[in-house]
Amino acid sequence: MAIKKANLTEQDFDPAHPINKLRELNKLKENSEQTRDSLARRLRAGEHAAAAELVDIYYKQIYLFMRRLGHDRQVSEDLTQETFLNAWHHIGQLRDGKALNGWLYRIAGNVSKLYWRKHKGRKTATLEGFNVPDNTNAQYDKVERNEQLEQLKNAVARLPIKLRQTIVLHYIQQLTIAESADAAGVRQGTFKSRLNRALNALRKQVT
Amino acid sequence: MGKEELKELLNKLPDAMTEPVRPGLGEDIKHQIPHRLSPHRVGMDTINIIIDFRINKLAAAAAIIITIIFCATFLGGRDSTGGSVLQDSMLLIKYWGAADTSKISAGRSKYEHLLQRGEDVVWYGDRLNPKDSGAVLMQRKLADGKYEVTFVDGREKQVTAEDLITLLSEMLQKKTK
Repeated sequence: MAIKKANLTEQDFDPAHPINKLRELNKLKENSEQTRDSLARRLRAGEHAAAAELVDIYYKQIYLFMRRLGHDRQVSEDLTQETFLNAWHHIGQLRDGKALNGWLYRIAGNVSKLYWRKHKGRKTATLEGFNVPDNTNAQYDKVERNEQLEQLKNAVARLPIKLRQTIVLHYIQQLTIAESADAAGVRQGTFKSRLNRALNALRKQVT
Repeated sequence: MGKEELKELLNKLPDAMTEPVRPGLGEDIKHQIPHRLSPHRVGMDTINIIIDFRINKLAAAAAIIITIIFCATFLGGRDSTGGSVLQDSMLLIKYWGAADTSKISAGRSKYEHLLQRGEDVVWYGDRLNPKDSGAVLMQRKLADGKYEVTFVDGREKQVTAEDLITLLSEMLQKKTK
């Protein structure tokens, strides 16, 4: 222990140092993985409290996922509830903590897909109700950026459902490629190819 | 627009595409958590997969029947009368299709099928009274010397040679009356 103390340098005490930031991030990641593993184990064991915890962690994400897929507010709430109801009935299919995101988003994606299938004529909800945050100082940059974001949002909404889901899962819900592919129910290669197609389609529409 | 620029813009979308969520929504969902969460059994999962695929009921029933025939053929436990799964399935469908109209014609199909396979079978269907449920439709000689008898109502029974003679003579007596 004494030797360890003797080897300490200035960077060990500086929280802003990149190495310490990286350590902090890794620690957070490990904790999050441990939490997910434990949650998945408790869910598989049928623990009621674990189910409530799952709701606390995910209900906002799933609601916003539905909104971002183009459902209106009321429908998004209904579909979020349906997603969790389905999740309770398919707890046996949850493998481990790593698969938690993919498992729940896959259920949510299927719930949304079935809704679109039942309501074929229904239009996607517009994204006008969403707020664009004001982060930039320069007025010109702000206006231009907002215009581009508006264009991009509309372009995402116009994408075919499969491509839209790809963009929403990876870029907006910020799932990893593996998790997104799992959620979409396809192989990673297929998912990457869809992502590429979606990006190309968006590039043509956003100037 | 360049790909990198687009990706950069896409990374800003999570903040741009957000809105407050109704606070009561989480509680509403929690109220729906079943009292007892139980992982599904494998069998239940299979049924769920069939339901998830949205297969129509008739197709699902056909899939289940074919699976049963397939398992029975390859895992044993069935006195196989057919040469292949396909023939057995065709026979089964023919038999079911004929159940309401004429069981004799369904039995005839089975007889022809067995005959094709080279089995020792005798057909009595042309000489019996269809209203007599105990009448023998056909006989099939088994390897152990016994006979498998098929009645008009579809029942099957294994009998000795003496019992078969008794059954046939009873049938003849009924017909002459």
